[in-house]
Amino acid sequence: MFPDPGSLGNKNSSSLMLCSLLSTSELEMKYGTSIDKGLSSARAAEILARDGPNALTPPKATPEIVKFLKQMIGGFSILLWIGAGFSWISFGIQLAQGVDSAFDNVSGWAPTPPALGAFNTPQLLSNYKEASRSHQALPPPNTSDKSSNIATPPVDNSSLTGESEPQSRSCDFTHENPLETRNIAFYSTTCVEGTATGIVINTGDRTIIGRIASLASGVGNEKTPIAIEIEHFVYLVAGVAISIGVLFFIISVSMRYKILDSIIFLIGIIVANVPEGLLATVTVSLSLTAKRMAKKNCLVKNLEAVETLGSTSIICSDKTGTLTQNRMTVAHLWFDNQIYSADTSEDQTTQPFDQSSPTWTALSKIVTLCNRAEFRPGQENLPIMKRVVVGDASETALLKFSEVILGDVMSIRAQNRKVAEIPFNSTNKFQLSIHETDDPQDKRFLLVMKGAPERILERCSTIMINGKEEPLDSEKAEAFQTAYMELGGMGERVLGFCHLYLPENEFPETFQFDTDSMNFPTSNLCFVGLLSMIDPPRSTVPDAVSKCRSAGIKVIMVTGDHPITAKAIAKSVGIISATSETVEDIAKRLNIPVEQVNRREATAAVVNGMELKDMSSEQLDEILRNHTEIVFARTSPQQKLIIVEGCQRQGAVVAVTGDGVNDSPALKKADIGIAMGIAGSDAAKNAADMVLLDDNFASIVTGVEEGRLIFDNLKKTIAYTLTKNIAELCPFLIYIIASIPMPIGTITILFIDLGTDIIPSVALAYEKAESDIMNRRPRNKRRDRLVNQQLAVYSYLQIGIMQSVGAFVTYFTVYAEQGFLPSTLLGVRVNWENNAINDFEDSYGQQWTHYQRMYLQWTGYTAFFVSITIQQVADLIIRKTRRNSIFRQGLFRNKVIWVGIFSQIGIALILTYGLGHVTALNFTPLRFQYWFVAVPFAILIWVYDEIRKLLIRRHPGSECTPLILIKYFHFMSLFPPFHSHPRLSCHSQYI
Amino acid sequence: MAKETQKPFRQSMAEWRQFIYNPNSGEFLGRTAKSWGLILLFYLVFYGFLAALFTFTMWVMLQTLSNDIPKYRDRISSPGLMISPKPDTALEFYFNKSDSQSYAEYVTTLQNFLESYNDSKQSQNIDCARGKIFEQSEAAVKKACRFNLSDLGLCSGKEDPNFGYSKGTPCVLVKMNRIIGLKPEGEPQIQCTPKEEGMVSINYFPRDGAMDLMYFPYYGKSLHAHYLQPLVAVQLAIAPNATKEEITIECKIHGSPNLKNQDDRDKFLGRIAFKVMMSE
Repeated sequence: MFPDPGSLGNKNSSSLMLCSLLSTSELEMKYGTSIDKGLSSARAAEILARDGPNALTPPKATPEIVKFLKQMIGGFSILLWIGAGFSWISFGIQLAQGVDSAFDNVSGWAPTPPALGAFNTPQLLSNYKEASRSHQALPPPNTSDKSSNIATPPVDNSSLTGESEPQSRSCDFTHENPLETRNIAFYSTTCVEGTATGIVINTGDRTIIGRIASLASGVGNEKTPIAIEIEHFVYLVAGVAISIGVLFFIISVSMRYKILDSIIFLIGIIVANVPEGLLATVTVSLSLTAKRMAKKNCLVKNLEAVETLGSTSIICSDKTGTLTQNRMTVAHLWFDNQIYSADTSEDQTTQPFDQSSPTWTALSKIVTLCNRAEFRPGQENLPIMKRVVVGDASETALLKFSEVILGDVMSIRAQNRKVAEIPFNSTNKFQLSIHETDDPQDKRFLLVMKGAPERILERCSTIMINGKEEPLDSEKAEAFQTAYMELGGMGERVLGFCHLYLPENEFPETFQFDTDSMNFPTSNLCFVGLLSMIDPPRSTVPDAVSKCRSAGIKVIMVTGDHPITAKAIAKSVGIISATSETVEDIAKRLNIPVEQVNRREATAAVVNGMELKDMSSEQLDEILRNHTEIVFARTSPQQKLIIVEGCQRQGAVVAVTGDGVNDSPALKKADIGIAMGIAGSDAAKNAADMVLLDDNFASIVTGVEEGRLIFDNLKKTIAYTLTKNIAELCPFLIYIIASIPMPIGTITILFIDLGTDIIPSVALAYEKAESDIMNRRPRNKRRDRLVNQQLAVYSYLQIGIMQSVGAFVTYFTVYAEQGFLPSTLLGVRVNWENNAINDFEDSYGQQWTHYQRMYLQWTGYTAFFVSITIQQVADLIIRKTRRNSIFRQGLFRNKVIWVGIFSQIGIALILTYGLGHVTALNFTPLRFQYWFVAVPFAILIWVYDEIRKLLIRRHPGSECTPLILIKYFHFMSLFPPFHSHPRLSCHSQYI
Repeated sequence: MAKETQKPFRQSMAEWRQFIYNPNSGEFLGRTAKSWGLILLFYLVFYGFLAALFTFTMWVMLQTLSNDIPKYRDRISSPGLMISPKPDTALEFYFNKSDSQSYAEYVTTLQNFLESYNDSKQSQNIDCARGKIFEQSEAAVKKACRFNLSDLGLCSGKEDPNFGYSKGTPCVLVKMNRIIGLKPEGEPQIQCTPKEEGMVSINYFPRDGAMDLMYFPYYGKSLHAHYLQPLVAVQLAIAPNATKEEITIECKIHGSPNLKNQDDRDKFLGRIAFKVMMSE
């Protein structure tokens, strides 16, 4: 296992905290450097030699040959290899015995795994593309803003912590946690404004990001659920093969076959049980689904991950960008003592709220003018929401907001020429500008200001109500406070707006404004209103979350953002549903301290990263178990990993979304890591199994549906494939027991497994979802297996046996009509196969040479083959549904199934009549009527299965089984009934 | 995922025991006796039904067949050749002409084989008109033509009970496979050729290795119960210089355009090859 992330944080702390505690001069001492001059070049070279370049060590790449070998022999392929090995052994035995036909028999058993490709597609790994700049100090200021001369340069930490807002940096030690303290800046973060000088304390892999990267590479890839299922399936098939093999070894020994012959039989049986075509089919099915998912913006890197998504039971989702649109948008307005809601959808073109009030006119003017953001030129034809803006997030939001409502903002600004401006900074927390007005009659200047609401209010003495300035009394201030709290409580960033028309006599047209000396009033202004902004949820997300919920998937939000914002977004997208409460909510409602609340009553929980840090894993487990709706806020990347592990301890299959480098350990740890295609870093994409091309949470839900569908369909495919395995095995068993001529050849079996059956089994991957696919719980990893007892028993012991019976009828018919009645065939094996006997007598007294008998035997093979093919058509049709009638599902809805059926019959026709004269393939032309011998049995299979489905629909639970045998139809049902689902209850709609 | 803790061996053993027989619920292999009984009953009924269905369909199919003639005979359009005696291993004769034990098996086989050709066994058979096909498709009971053992001359076993093996002139009987309705055209005759010249001279009985047309066609086991297929005896006079040498002899049917003797794949279609090695 990898180091516990908690302890990793501590290790960070020990070295980093020490540094963060030291003063500048102490640091200079410690690192032998100078804050002014930096290191001497000799010293720098020395350190470079000691520590290496300031670059991350790329993850150890697996050699291509190892990858290739893994593909060749991993998982399912091993079964085929063992089969191949056994074939050579039995070939060797036969050759040593001097059996001429060794070449005939054995070459057929050898499967061809390498050509089929392997189950896993190679992962599309590329190396980390970290820049290996060797910077000795923080990067130089990358903004050319001369006016930004501020003491606390903000740093964009988003790639490290996921915080969407820049964090300010200063020389003060503010926090024990190195990630939180203000006097450390990190590798891979950027200074968005201003300048800063610092001392490098760690480089390369010893940086925080380096540790995260090594953490990610230390997290082993867990086996995907489908890989586990395939392994289980291999065990099952191997178990069946070996038990039947050993059983018949004992039988053949006690029937006085030679030991060597018995061993060959044993090997033959084992190999006959290997479904050679399944590997190809499963891979193709998964690829098809992956392709379909790619069309829906889910790019799957690892084929097996396709299914993992379907069995997902918990999604740990990021907030920013995944659940939200990742752009600030004006959500609410407050003016005239009233809160108005704005449209926050992705493609807004108008705003519906009441815009008739003169206060709004004044407010809109401030919003438009007191704003430095601008559209990049040349985007006039784009929708407003899609245009690129130069400016920070809030200004952008305001610009777009006013552009939507007022139209051309740029020309409005041009008409109201700006004469002076104080841009926003974090000390005075306001932004101010002075404009000429667009009214030629009005020669006054307009001073507009926006900023933190409380700061703005401090500077105001009046407030505008319905266009009239009224004195700001305590009652109105109270109203302001209430509105401010309410908007803030919704997790929104609130800005206050005020203005002042400067008196014309004091500020004539020629007045020179000086922003340094502030020769104009900045108090006693007129308060106009509040605007609040939020990164709104994507419009498709609430629906997707509710779909997840009905699909039994728990959605957990894990974000670096503030709890209030996180909770607000969680509520608006339905992660916390409208009716559920957190412990804090209950405490507030009942007016009791939080400690007294019964924690079991709260279905929702908002957990702060700080709380999480102090929690034991038992406490975390308890939260994950007891609350259905959970939000983790202010979490660090390491904590994300802890949360993922906690979920996995619950036995859940966890999907994690992430974009930053910091997310990569969690992405790797998760059963399925989902990286963001647009916002995601390369490291995240590397660590993930899947990439969401549109960063949209809703795409995950589509992926879940596809994943579940492929699981269902793979089940159908395997059931289909396993069935005919029995029809291929039975002849061999009967051949041993009854000593009849061999009913089906090995080459023929391969032509079924790798020929006629391939396209139909792939066609099942195109089967449409049954209507309840998103209404059932995620499958239980331990209980709902891909191949369970029911499926195996139903395929092997029921449908498979029926197929064998049908095929044997054809076989006996062919022999009987050529002169060998069934009674004659029993016990003839040794003489029949004897090369030297060329006057073998049939039931009518005719005599056959060895070759004539062999030719008849091949006709028997062909007949058996054709019968299996015909019955596989019925098998294919019955596998279309699990419990619905075929007539309900529609015979023709899945066109690909028909392509499968026609290809199946087409290939059989070509083999029989086209290649019927190539003796090496052991096919012979077949009389036309033999194609129909098995048809009644095919119909029987269909009817039988319809009856089974009818019974399990009528009597889904064993508690309402009037017929004694129905209970045992359950035993036969492919899928255990989902008792939770109302449709499947006794009073189902089918009755 | 949390690492799965390995269960202690004793616990997993106990779980297995529990699975095999659970005394609390009376479950055996995860099911109660009643449950197992019902499953058994189900499969009994199910397989009983399938067996009945199989039997029924086979019965229906057999009803469509005639007792006398197989429905199709296209897989054996041309007959194969076979010899008697047929050595156990391959078609290779090894014997010592002075050691009666070494060829006793061949002699017994020949005697047994010719048993059914004895005159006493052929009392019901009739003398047919030689040289032409004996058509009797109208007759309800098909008659068999007599095959006189004396036609086999020195190889009939009457004059020489050892069929020439003791004299270095071993007899091998060549016969043609029975095929219902086969009517050879022309004058079919067996001709054998040794691979190496000068080692052996070959005598045929009847003369020229002829197979008389009167023995054809064959009407099948049930209609043509006493049918005897014509035989050609080949007597190999092995040259004194060829003892202890392996002589390969190939016999073919000639003289009949509808009897194939040169099939690439079927080495016994209208021909047969065997080896003889005699020591003194």
